[in-house]
Amino acid sequence: MWEACTDVACGNLFAWLNQGPLTLTIFLHTVVVIPMFFIYFQEKKRLEEGGE
Amino acid sequence: MSKKSASVWTSIPFWRRSAAWVTGVATVLLIWLTFDTMGQISMGSDEDLKNGITKRIPAASVINYHIDYQFDDKRGHEVPVIGEKETFFGKEWSAEEAAKLLHLGKLTSQAKNCMNCHTLLGNGAYYAPDLTKAWLDPKWNDGTMTGITGKASKEEAMAEFLMHPSQYPTHARMMPNLGITKEEAVALVAFLKHMSAIDTNGFPRNFSQSAKRLEGGTHAH
Repeated sequence: MWEACTDVACGNLFAWLNQGPLTLTIFLHTVVVIPMFFIYFQEKKRLEEGGE
Repeated sequence: MSKKSASVWTSIPFWRRSAAWVTGVATVLLIWLTFDTMGQISMGSDEDLKNGITKRIPAASVINYHIDYQFDDKRGHEVPVIGEKETFFGKEWSAEEAAKLLHLGKLTSQAKNCMNCHTLLGNGAYYAPDLTKAWLDPKWNDGTMTGITGKASKEEAMAEFLMHPSQYPTHARMMPNLGITKEEAVALVAFLKHMSAIDTNGFPRNFSQSAKRLEGGTHAH
């Protein structure tokens, strides 16, 4: 899964994440979407407990 | 407390918090990328060259080094390889001199509007040959251009060509005389040599193969 980095800037996080088509995109979407599950369940709990 | 059945999807606070989160992450990421890019595109120093540290954009004093263009199997394209020292117009240029020369070359390229016909680093036109790797065109090395300009070295041949392009028909669409002075021509050659040493991730694609296939006709400007 992990290929050796061949860019000129291998110490760079984005160079590692951008190894192929979609790798950076999948990573960033994961980072963005996972906390939205947390927001969803927190809001659900609040509503069920008589919030607005 | 009894649990109510509630739909989160119609809850305004849920959408408000989600939007705030996504916007916040995107903002932080874009600011981070901006600073990261600034680091990536900053020019290397003379010390980097002396210590063999590869920067995407080398220092201006790279004009004192031999520049090769080799295929990198892992990256799947050609990359500039900075080699041994070589003289440029018969001398070695100090870091300050090289930076000044490069600056004059850049200003000249803008004043003469090279991009009106040529492409530099992806910007410009394709009426005339792409100049991004022009310094590495084999026609400057194999005796063709030094032969027809009567000059001893590649850089002198290039400068001579730039000063009197209409005397040397290398292309169906000939380059017009732009009134480039000797000083400006030297600076432009330095500008082109430095540009060829920039790691452009293989742009323009297949430069060496197309240079060979077109027999210098399209690239030897």
